[in-house]
Amino acid sequence: MEDDTPHVQVKFRTKQQQYAVPDTPFSVPVEVNREKLSELVNGILQESTESSGHVGHIQFDFLIDQEFLHDSLKKHLEDKDLTSEVVLDIEYVERQAAPRPEESLEHDDWVSAVQGAGQFILSGSYDNTARLWSSSGQALMTIPGHSAPVKCVAWIHHDESQPVSTFVTGSHDQTALVWQWNRDTNEVDCCLSCSGHSASVDCVVVNSTGDLMCTGSWDRTLKLWSTAYTADGENSGDTDRPNKKKRREGSSIQQRVPVLTLGGKSDGMDTDSTPAGHTEAVSAVQWLNTETVVTASWDHTLRLWDLQQAKETALLQGTKAFLDVSFSPLSQTLVTASADRHVRLYDPRSSEGAVVKCSFTSHTGWVVGVSWSPTREHLFLSGSYDTVLKLWDTRSPKAPLYDMNRHEDRILAVDWTVPQLMLSAGVDNRVNVFNYSPATSATH
Amino acid sequence: MRDYGGLKATEQAAKMNTLKRPHAASDTSEEEELPDDYTSNSDENMEDTDSEDEDATDSSDDDESEEDGDSGKEVNDNDPDGDTGIDSISEVDEEELNSAVNQDSSVASKAVNEYAEDSSDEEDIKNTVGNIPLEWYKEYDHLGYDVRGNKIIKPQQGDGIDEFLNKMEDPDYWRTVTDKWTGEKTVLSKEDVELIKKLQKGGNPSASEEMYPEWIDFFSGEEMMHPVTNRPMDKRSFIPSKWERLKVGKMVHAIKMGWMKPRQQKTPEEEEEDKRKRYDLWSDEAEDGILRRYRQHIPAPKLPLPGHVESYNPPPEYLLTKEEEEKWTEQEPEERRINFLPQKYSCMRLVPAYSKFINERFERCLDLYLCARQRKMKMNVNPEDLIPKLPKPKDLQPFPTTQALVYKGHEDMVRCICPDPSGQWLVSGSDDGTVRFWEVATARCLKTVEVSSRVTCVAWNPNEKHCLVAVSVGTTVMIINPGLGDKKMVSDTDAMLLSYQNEAGSSSEKELPVDWVQSDLNVKDYKTGVRLRIEHPKEVAQVTWHDFGDFFATVMHEGQRQAVLVHRLTTRHSQSPFSKSKGWVQCVKFHQRRTGGGKTMTMLYVATQRFVRQYDLVKQKMVKKLQTNCKWVSSMDIHPGGDNVIVGSFDCKNAWFDLDLSTKPYQTLRHHRGAVRQVAYHSRYPLFASASDDGSIIVCHGKVYSDLLLNPLIVPVKVLRGHAITKRLGVMDCAFHPKQPWIFSAGADGTIRLYS
Repeated sequence: MEDDTPHVQVKFRTKQQQYAVPDTPFSVPVEVNREKLSELVNGILQESTESSGHVGHIQFDFLIDQEFLHDSLKKHLEDKDLTSEVVLDIEYVERQAAPRPEESLEHDDWVSAVQGAGQFILSGSYDNTARLWSSSGQALMTIPGHSAPVKCVAWIHHDESQPVSTFVTGSHDQTALVWQWNRDTNEVDCCLSCSGHSASVDCVVVNSTGDLMCTGSWDRTLKLWSTAYTADGENSGDTDRPNKKKRREGSSIQQRVPVLTLGGKSDGMDTDSTPAGHTEAVSAVQWLNTETVVTASWDHTLRLWDLQQAKETALLQGTKAFLDVSFSPLSQTLVTASADRHVRLYDPRSSEGAVVKCSFTSHTGWVVGVSWSPTREHLFLSGSYDTVLKLWDTRSPKAPLYDMNRHEDRILAVDWTVPQLMLSAGVDNRVNVFNYSPATSATH
Repeated sequence: MRDYGGLKATEQAAKMNTLKRPHAASDTSEEEELPDDYTSNSDENMEDTDSEDEDATDSSDDDESEEDGDSGKEVNDNDPDGDTGIDSISEVDEEELNSAVNQDSSVASKAVNEYAEDSSDEEDIKNTVGNIPLEWYKEYDHLGYDVRGNKIIKPQQGDGIDEFLNKMEDPDYWRTVTDKWTGEKTVLSKEDVELIKKLQKGGNPSASEEMYPEWIDFFSGEEMMHPVTNRPMDKRSFIPSKWERLKVGKMVHAIKMGWMKPRQQKTPEEEEEDKRKRYDLWSDEAEDGILRRYRQHIPAPKLPLPGHVESYNPPPEYLLTKEEEEKWTEQEPEERRINFLPQKYSCMRLVPAYSKFINERFERCLDLYLCARQRKMKMNVNPEDLIPKLPKPKDLQPFPTTQALVYKGHEDMVRCICPDPSGQWLVSGSDDGTVRFWEVATARCLKTVEVSSRVTCVAWNPNEKHCLVAVSVGTTVMIINPGLGDKKMVSDTDAMLLSYQNEAGSSSEKELPVDWVQSDLNVKDYKTGVRLRIEHPKEVAQVTWHDFGDFFATVMHEGQRQAVLVHRLTTRHSQSPFSKSKGWVQCVKFHQRRTGGGKTMTMLYVATQRFVRQYDLVKQKMVKKLQTNCKWVSSMDIHPGGDNVIVGSFDCKNAWFDLDLSTKPYQTLRHHRGAVRQVAYHSRYPLFASASDDGSIIVCHGKVYSDLLLNPLIVPVKVLRGHAITKRLGVMDCAFHPKQPWIFSAGADGTIRLYS
């Protein structure tokens, strides 16, 4: 029986050196599917590592010409109209487990922004509130404070060991508010009000140390703020009680002015030689490192800003209005979401050649949110107005790894700050949580 | 005479022929008829068998010698040694015949024939069956009978493999042929092959004579390197002629003596005179006149060649049946396919004279003589060349291509939309009596203002420092502050509106055509955002802002001479620019036009039912009047440059005007299948669009060049669909995003759609 089935020569290669096998061609029957191939590679690995030590059974995914193998080899060959007589070059990577759908966090209105930190999730909604959730889906707190829909949220400081966390919310009311949350007492206080933008604050991002944050706004400017809360002496290290008092008195909220304003044509606040900057709304901001941020704008450009010198250092021209951008420190590249159905990959370091390094096309509506995996250099999430959240592997630009169809309406924001939590927020008043735990699923 | 042997076989054969003639003639048979010869031979053989009972071959040898002897006697006069000579020839002949007898071509068999007579009987024995097709013996393994009645066995015929082996191994295979008469295989000699080749070329069979030798043109005009003849040139060919000299001498003498006068040179005057007297009468019409008829001769059309129908003995299918004949007779002579009845005669002799011959000739002459012949000028034009070269839509990006967002919320048809100048918000007015404000990027309805009647027009103040929307509802125009965008701007706008005091009391002197009503701070109206109400006498159809955001104009269809009113926000003043009615005003548009020297010209475009008038508001006069050629104009938009106007009409047309070019449409676009409801230009990209009742929006690339020599380039690039047709209405309004190449459309189905 086995002799009858045609065989095909395959050659395995991988970029994960710990799983490397000799690159001799193997003859495998064409009927073989992913599981069988995975077993085969495991077998080879065990043979080669018998002396050195047991690796354990690992599930692999197989990439043939930038596409993942889903069915049998035969079907793939038929689909691609390939002959079975050449040696197939198959790249294999450790299999990414399917994200597990978990809670759905119900809101009262559209959810426009979401971010996770540790065991908690912060979301911003069109009902002018921000909400705090535990990752198990428990609503912890609803925070009214803005006078207009909340457009963006970000954690500033979150440490499991300390009871007080801080976060920031930006809104249509042209302000960004910094809040302190005491987990022990479950109380929230607004400690800073950052006003200065002359239009809605559309994006906010906090640097790695949590002492600086950047906001981008529809008024075309990018503003840098200090998050350091230096309240008057005694209550800085103290708990929230004085704040609460002050808040009751109605004067506790400190007004904060921006450290730096970048862009904006007309205003010459501290700009003597700064170029004009964005000509349209800034839709997303990301830190590249401690000194550089990248902004995405509706004027079809991505701009890199050096915060030390307070000037624009590079410009990447796109063809569509950018709606979101995400930067991965692991791969040092940017993925962008624009007002069309493509996700594009940019490399901010290179200036020659094609600006777009790769484009990922599978969505059918505008892509509005992208987010890199914090731990995997090849993975990122994209959410779109076509209600689908997609998990992508940059090595397979032709088709996404997984489609997640839990939203009933358009997705407005995605987040993957916590490695285990893939979050998406949408017009259906929900934040959907997907659990992504590669460690548990990789080994059986 | 022994030297015969030195000659070639063929030559000998030829000579033999000449020798043999008399004998052949004396013989009973003709040369061509081979069978007769054979029969005669066989007769002889029969006789031989009677006399001798020897071996057939031996006897034939004897016979041969006898015969040779006979023939030798006849030629003895010429050749005393004929015997020996003939002997040798006969030997040669055997070979000849062996090889040549079995050629397939008739010519070859004829060649055989010639020798058949003088050949030995041994040959003839091979075929005893006579002149019958050899196929008759196909089934048997013999071929006739010999003298003793024994079967003459056919020579062995190899099968396919033998054939193939022969083909591969036998070097003579190519010239081996099968004897038609005996079935034997014979190899053609070299001479035979040559002979056959020669005959195939149509040459003379005899080798010695060349029938058509190649012509060498010795005495051609070409100069040759070597002279053809050896004769030296004559002396006279290079000395002057004596006789000419004498003749010339005579003439000179005659002139000297005055007997002869040389022709005199004509003076210029005489030449003039000559020209006046004689001139070419047809010099200027030479080409038009008779000459042309010769030059451009058109040959007479040829008569069709006679076919089977015309035959005196046509094939039966050409003869008409009874019904056909009846039909033919009933038909008018002009309608008949053939003008005679085909008839069958058994022979040519019975064919009568053709009675209509004279008629036909005459008609033919008339045809040739009276029917004007003219050369048809054929235009060989590739139809594709006639299509103007338009760039491909792909090269004209960006333009909106796909539906990106749907703004849902209105409960009835959305009549009008307008994006705010920054492109972040969108305002829409609907028949359900609400004005809604949307966030463009997310399709979120942020604010709803109830106005209790259907909204006919909304317009966002184009001045980015103001945050105001003009809304026309019934007879009222409301100025609404939506409270969106910069808070400071919102409060500034409110402050600006509140700061107005009726300082200029003089304005009350004049009767304003409208009432300005400011909302009180405490009224519910104010909270919803309505700041001002301007009550008009008639229903307001349209409201449009001037670019500066201070002036705005309203249109009342039934306003007669007050159909168009221009209002000023800061002074709360209204005036009617026209003293008399211009007709049914459809819509108006302001345009701020920058001319050289920092000057600006404010133009007001007024579209009536059929015309568009352009007014200069500063000079207060009409600049141009455009003829739309449309039945009923529905909408109009002005290119940001100001020199181009697009007009949409209810009769499905869009007319593009280039004001510099003409007052008539530069181009009329008939792409829509329904009434055009709205046309719009993009303020940044070279795009314009038209929305129609057929549920589609057509986006066109409309590039206006700053070079005056270049006409605008108009290319339709995209048809956008998505709106459902409700109550026979499709898309009611469309507007481009102020910054992006996107278009919004308002549909009768209650949705607003964004295409990107």
